[in-house]
Amino acid sequence: MTASFPKTARAVTFELALECNLDAVRSAVVAVRQFLAEQGLPEDELTACEIALVEACNNAIQYAPVHRHGEPVEIKAICNGAKLELQVTDHTPGFDWPEAAALPDPTCERGRGLFLIQTLMQPVRYFRGGTGNTLVMRRGRTRQGYHHSTLGPEGLAQTTETAERLRDSERVITDMAKELCVRSESLSAIFRCSAELGRSNDLKEFSERLLNDLLHITSSDWFVLRLVSGSDTCLEVFAASEPFSVPLPPALHLDTPAANPGAVEWQAASQRREIRFDLEHPLAGADPLTSLGRNSSGLVCPLFLHDRLIGTLAVGRDLSDAERLSAREAEVVRTFAGFLAIQCVNAQLQEDHVNGRLIARELEIARNIQRALLPKSFPCVRGFSLCGFLQSARQVGGDLYDVLPVSDDALLLIVADVMGHGVPAAMFAAILRSLVRVLPEWTHQPSALLSKMNRMLYDDLSEVEMFITAQLAFVDIRQRVLTAASAGHCPLLLASASQPAVRTVSPEGMPLGILRNPAFTDETVPLGKGARLLLYTDGLTELRDGQGQCFGQQRLMRWLASAVARRLPADAMKTELAASLEQFQPLDPLPDDQTFLILAEDNSGS
Amino acid sequence: MKTQHDGETLHISDILELSAANSRAFRDQVNAALPAALKTIEIDLSQTSFVDSCGLGALIAVYKAAAGRDGGIILRLLNPTPPVQQLFELTRLHHLFEIARR
Repeated sequence: MTASFPKTARAVTFELALECNLDAVRSAVVAVRQFLAEQGLPEDELTACEIALVEACNNAIQYAPVHRHGEPVEIKAICNGAKLELQVTDHTPGFDWPEAAALPDPTCERGRGLFLIQTLMQPVRYFRGGTGNTLVMRRGRTRQGYHHSTLGPEGLAQTTETAERLRDSERVITDMAKELCVRSESLSAIFRCSAELGRSNDLKEFSERLLNDLLHITSSDWFVLRLVSGSDTCLEVFAASEPFSVPLPPALHLDTPAANPGAVEWQAASQRREIRFDLEHPLAGADPLTSLGRNSSGLVCPLFLHDRLIGTLAVGRDLSDAERLSAREAEVVRTFAGFLAIQCVNAQLQEDHVNGRLIARELEIARNIQRALLPKSFPCVRGFSLCGFLQSARQVGGDLYDVLPVSDDALLLIVADVMGHGVPAAMFAAILRSLVRVLPEWTHQPSALLSKMNRMLYDDLSEVEMFITAQLAFVDIRQRVLTAASAGHCPLLLASASQPAVRTVSPEGMPLGILRNPAFTDETVPLGKGARLLLYTDGLTELRDGQGQCFGQQRLMRWLASAVARRLPADAMKTELAASLEQFQPLDPLPDDQTFLILAEDNSGS
Repeated sequence: MKTQHDGETLHISDILELSAANSRAFRDQVNAALPAALKTIEIDLSQTSFVDSCGLGALIAVYKAAAGRDGGIILRLLNPTPPVQQLFELTRLHHLFEIARR
């Protein structure tokens, strides 16, 4: 036993190291009592201090693990005019200090120590630390207990007193701050990391930082965070403390229990409950967590959001330097687990949102390309009017219509459909449109034009497994003939006042991008007086109504016949057909693009 | 500590303290000294300057052992010193124990 008596006039300190042995308690406490008596404490206060100190020392000794018996229990008594403080530093794993210890049943032989300490001393704080824990017991001194051994002049005494009180207050504040720190450390860690998440958006980095804080707060040595992935049946390691065994432990498959014998993470996830492990309930030999320490104690928390399993969080400490997690530490782990679950789901939602925005942006781009490709105005051909219509589906496809003037009396009409959606389809539509324009020498011979285009597009199209159907119609007003060629496209419809029966023009031809050298054929038909020509994509004919009925080619043909009979100009035809399509299937969004191009001979010319 | 057997009464005295260090020994000693035809145990606490929660536990253990005997043995605590009496009151054990002053 060692003791020292600092010769301070006011705050007097007595320190003493107590061997970790119950037999040594009594004499040590008697020495402290002696010291306190010298400071003028009355008998009843001495007794109170004595009991409280004995109880504190007994606990410090009784709960010290055997391997720490060599370390002394440290006692410190601080006494000034107004207060006294007793400190006992133990080397136990520490325990959860109860807010208010209750008396046990009268016939119970144990469990009165903490009650006595709390009753006799006020306030009492227990500070848990890495190497030791300190119990701080205070007591205000009663008035008669004042004892000024060396009173200076009154003014000086007052100043010293004030300074002393200030120092004392500061010490109280420091202690309170320390305690607040322990309690709020978890919260501040969470807040700090949340702020960082807002900046970085990196869930993995965020989780690692947060969980390293958790290790610090709970004096734990390692963590493994797994998240559910792969159709909700697989628990994959998302983050783990460093250094971790290389490579990372394998994923746990929730639907195959036999593959994970005794793995606590698997148990926690599949049984949807918290699982503790320690020396009495050690990790199974095959448990992946044993790579972090076979003799670990800790906790696995399943992560839930509402009822959905999100993952598991395992936190453990090496048993060689500490015992199992306390109730409060487990609570902190739980809090972090709950918080992480929310953050993981948030991050997922965020990602989905960003992806959603990307898709929406891509669709917007594709739609813009598609719009930009359409002719702003049509070439003027004497005695004829032209009208085009393109209605985009939600998933923008690669529909295209175009009209090229070949001469004053001739036009090339094009309707095409790139099989595919989004930006790639729109890009091919753009390429197709350009190709037609750079091959003017072939415009009067549609089949040759298609062959050329196929040759130029084949490699690119087959690489992305896309193809294009197209209908080309070369219209010679002077000769009053129409030459059409098709690349797997739906037929062109033609009728006139002189030949009112609607004629389908559908020359043979494979879509572009299917074969390297397909054969295309031209079909030439005369253009009767008052002719009406309709080029369209299958978005029209394959449109289905609520009963699953197709709009169909027959309906188009009947309508065209009627338009010819009524001598409708192109714009009126467009309005009517668009309205009838909308009426047929008023649903939004459309399942596919709807595109058509109409050439109508003016009535004056008929 | 002194134990004195007087017919139906076991008298225990000269206990200087009853704490974690000696409470187990105290309990064992008392139990070992319980003869068959005992009616009363008197523990004289007049010399006992200090009792802690373990000491209380030992007294409770003796109380329970006594009450558990056939016919029941009465446990009487005699003349506790003021601090020990205070401790009994603080822990409400003065309701459990018969405490006598003579």
